[in-house]
Amino acid sequence: MKKWGEVALGVVTCIGGFLEVGSIATSAQGGAEFGYQLAWVLLLGTLSLAILMEMTGRLAAVSRRSYGDLLRERFGYRFFLLPFLAVFIVSLLVLASEIGGVAIALQLATGVAFRWWAIPTALIGWLLLWRGNFSIVEQGTALLGLVALSFGVAALVLHPAWPTLGRALLPSLPSHDHARYWYLAVSMLGASISPYLYLFYSAGAIEDEWTIEHLGVNRITASVGNVFGGGLAIASLVTAALVLAPREIRVDAYEQIALLLATPLGRPGFVFFVMTLFITCFGATIEIVLAMAYILAQGFGWRWSENLKPAQDARFSTSYTVLILLAAVPIALGMDPLSLTNISMVATAASLPVTVIPLFVLMNDGDLLNTNVNGWASNLALVVIALLSVVLLVAALPLQLLGGG
Amino acid sequence: MNRPAHTRAHARLALLALLAGGGCGSPPPLAKQLETLASWTATMQLAKERHGAGAITYTYATQLRDKADDAFQQASTTIGRAAQTRTDSAYAAAALDSLRTAIRQLEAEIGS
Repeated sequence: MKKWGEVALGVVTCIGGFLEVGSIATSAQGGAEFGYQLAWVLLLGTLSLAILMEMTGRLAAVSRRSYGDLLRERFGYRFFLLPFLAVFIVSLLVLASEIGGVAIALQLATGVAFRWWAIPTALIGWLLLWRGNFSIVEQGTALLGLVALSFGVAALVLHPAWPTLGRALLPSLPSHDHARYWYLAVSMLGASISPYLYLFYSAGAIEDEWTIEHLGVNRITASVGNVFGGGLAIASLVTAALVLAPREIRVDAYEQIALLLATPLGRPGFVFFVMTLFITCFGATIEIVLAMAYILAQGFGWRWSENLKPAQDARFSTSYTVLILLAAVPIALGMDPLSLTNISMVATAASLPVTVIPLFVLMNDGDLLNTNVNGWASNLALVVIALLSVVLLVAALPLQLLGGG
Repeated sequence: MNRPAHTRAHARLALLALLAGGGCGSPPPLAKQLETLASWTATMQLAKERHGAGAITYTYATQLRDKADDAFQQASTTIGRAAQTRTDSAYAAAALDSLRTAIRQLEAEIGS
């Protein structure tokens, strides 16, 4: 019974965790500019993330060490610095974007400019981390994040053309504006396969004291949770395709995205959008800052756990305190949250190889995983994701220059 | 639901003219600016309609109006330089006019 509770919690966490500022913004942009055509990117991102989460969860459950710990232990400190720095810089950008998402939600609700909400958001997030424990962080944001299901309801109310949507799940070339199409594809993949998601998931498995007994929970959580989460991102794209695209509205500001739910669902839709943006971005803020503090502590061998009192892991607590306040600064200074989101999603996509390729080595290490090493199918999937990540690395900068405007 | 036919026709004609004149490749800056203006015009029309239906708040509608006004002000200062011919200038003026009208219509709807 306890196991099923853990499965349900994990699935709910994934649903709320998948949809955040990056996936909402990039899916809306994709749907507004290319209709259903980019749906395949979300499917690819969802499958890739599910595979990476299953592997990092399995690694943590069997070896009883997080992915960050193992990167340092197995590859050495010098090599560890590469993924560490890449993930750290990119996650800081994404963290600022998420704080921007919370601030925009509060602006939409109150009319007070977003920049004034950045520091209060950071302080409330910090207070939750300082006073709370991992269960509060995980369960609170997970359950509240279910409000994101409103995107699914909106898409259904709009009666999408299912056969067309089904065909869009297979890759296709655009009929116009190729650079913009591929730029949005890279942004959407960056939003779907953020390294913080599987680094947080791996550290969370240690926080929740997973053992080999949890491999079934891990498999179901990673697959079912991400399928639901990815489904909501597709619902966001579908809603934009049916609300914004026919009117030729491009998403140039977050303010336009709230019309997505207000059109099919009326006033409740507007309220649900504001709540979804607020809750999912706040949840992601907490998860990212913890993921960053985890990898920092794991890299330098500090004591770490969100379940310990701050005095017991002082360097870990100091890390998240400084990081969350630092990330609030660009938003407090008035940096445009949508531009920041787009840049951070492309940077995220470009950072993937340094965390995906080492995973291949670890997942085939018999000393760590015994009989739970990857089979040929898992290895093939991981190779495909690794190749994809290299393509994203190469393509990210040119596409940012050509299609980012 | 949809924005008026003349607005769509203006935007489409402008885009067609520019794409035909420009040959191929990425859209020239004027085309991009016209796209942005047309997008904000449509946003204002949708916001007016949604406010009329009680789906969005006054607070939110004014934020959308302010963003559209920013886009209008920005385009007003840059679009003239991007327009190469008299025809370009006519399309640019028409697009600006459409957005200004749409902003005023939203203001009339929300009573600001």
